[in-house]
Amino acid sequence: MKSQSRLNRSLPYLLILPALLCVGTVILYPTLFTFGLSLYENRRATFTYVGLENFQNLLGNTMFSSGLGRTAVYSALYVGLVIVFAFLLSLILRGRIKGRSFFLTVIFIPWMLSDIVAGILWRWLFLPRVGVLQNTLGPLLGDYSFLAEGTGAMGVVLAAAIWRGTAFALLLLLAGLQTIPGELTDAASIDGANRWQQFWNVTWPLMLPTTQVTLVFLSIQAINAVGLFLSITDGGPGRATEVVSLQLYKQALQFNNFGFASAVSVMMFFVNAGLALIYLNALRAQNVLD
Amino acid sequence: MNTALVRWWNRYWIYLILGILCLAFLLPIGYALITSLQPTGFGLARNLFNDGVYWGHYEQLLSTPRFLRNLLNSAITSLGGALLTTTCCALAGYAFARLRFQGRRGLLIALLGLMMLPGIVNLIPLYRLTSELLRLVPTGAAVIGDLNTRQVANLLLLIAVYGAFGIPFGVWVMKSFYASIPRELEDAAFVDGATPLQALRHVLLPLSLPGLVAVFLTNFVFNWNDFLTASLLIRSDELKTATVGLLDFQNQLTGNNSELLNAAAILMMLPGIGLFLLARKAFFRGFIEGAVKG
Repeated sequence: MKSQSRLNRSLPYLLILPALLCVGTVILYPTLFTFGLSLYENRRATFTYVGLENFQNLLGNTMFSSGLGRTAVYSALYVGLVIVFAFLLSLILRGRIKGRSFFLTVIFIPWMLSDIVAGILWRWLFLPRVGVLQNTLGPLLGDYSFLAEGTGAMGVVLAAAIWRGTAFALLLLLAGLQTIPGELTDAASIDGANRWQQFWNVTWPLMLPTTQVTLVFLSIQAINAVGLFLSITDGGPGRATEVVSLQLYKQALQFNNFGFASAVSVMMFFVNAGLALIYLNALRAQNVLD
Repeated sequence: MNTALVRWWNRYWIYLILGILCLAFLLPIGYALITSLQPTGFGLARNLFNDGVYWGHYEQLLSTPRFLRNLLNSAITSLGGALLTTTCCALAGYAFARLRFQGRRGLLIALLGLMMLPGIVNLIPLYRLTSELLRLVPTGAAVIGDLNTRQVANLLLLIAVYGAFGIPFGVWVMKSFYASIPRELEDAAFVDGATPLQALRHVLLPLSLPGLVAVFLTNFVFNWNDFLTASLLIRSDELKTATVGLLDFQNQLTGNNSELLNAAAILMMLPGIGLFLLARKAFFRGFIEGAVKG
């Protein structure tokens, strides 16, 4: 009987052990490792302790600062465009629309693709001479060659990202809209509120928490995007689409520049952790965590 | 006439917009599909409807050992990772949903936070740790098929990493799923003298099959689509997964076999889209309508 109760007491820990073991070794330990690594400088296989030098070097690094600028532009556009687009779509698709499930399915298909596959499709649409969108849109813009221009290339990546990312934002927003009781908008319309007033005074305030969570998710996707950039532009033309996340990937894997890359990783960790905290806070406000 | 037009517009503008949107959303896939069904070098000059469909690129891909090998590697690692995730989450989710223990709430919140940490943050340590771990494993002779010990270890490592990445989200899904099952069902088992493990095995798990399938499938598709982790961890050509092989292919392209690349991209997206189409009803119900219950 006694051993039975001891088993019962340790049972929860035994059950969560495999999960914690996996998460600990594959996610937590490497994160700590990055922090350590960012304090060392590597020349070939030797590592010397340099303290915060890697971070100081980052501050004066023009490649990094222009990368930050690109990440800021890309993230602002991606997050802003997706949230507006997905919000409009969610308002259209919340109601009883004929073929709702068909429309949802079509919008969700791109989300099922790998970013590499998505990138290959979009690159093909805009490839000089053969891409169907390059051939139709290019001449309209005065023989504009999308992938040869910095702005154009960023635009193609952005379009592909919106194409692939809308579904996820839509999912969160539709789920949020479901929690708003229909009686509330009905009551508003009985009180004489027009559609716009219904949206602005009832739906929008109630959707704020969901919108906040969606914005956090979209920001995380934006600042960490690598696959689409790799497969559409590879940072080019020149360095016009080399965002920070891509620099991190290339500096570590192609140039073995681990000092730079782990300093960047640590900074990205803090940005992501900050966003995660905002997310947890939003959930706490909605009492999801209890 | 004019008012009829206005009435028509008021009623159908939404469908017009949604219709155009759907066409736009399907365009990249449709264009790739059309491209892949044409012989090399025709571009849009060839009319698919008059000149017929050319299956040559698909035949070529399906008889290319390297491409099949990439697909096989993707399948093995995606399945293995999803299986690992599902197993860990089925056990841990039960503890979090039904048992009281110290640190329960803190661990749950920590998992939620980890869910938000994307793989790229761990890119360098994972890359370096892989090198160091694999150096400990002798190359040796072929053990499974043509893979030597180190290559097998490399595959297992990728499976472990995939498995771990899915856990934070999966634990939450399974926890919510178990929590939605009425406790009375287990209580009946406890009255009959069952232990918590027996209740899990004989009562909860059979009822939780939809949740387990959902965790398994989302992780399978996620792993199948992964490029970043595989490109960091995989150290030999024989082990490359399909996404890694596909990007290699695009980078090595000499310009005259884009049709083949598009065919490969189409084949790559089939599992994800296929599983989604099969499970979409449950998917939309679970994620959009089910969110009400929390």
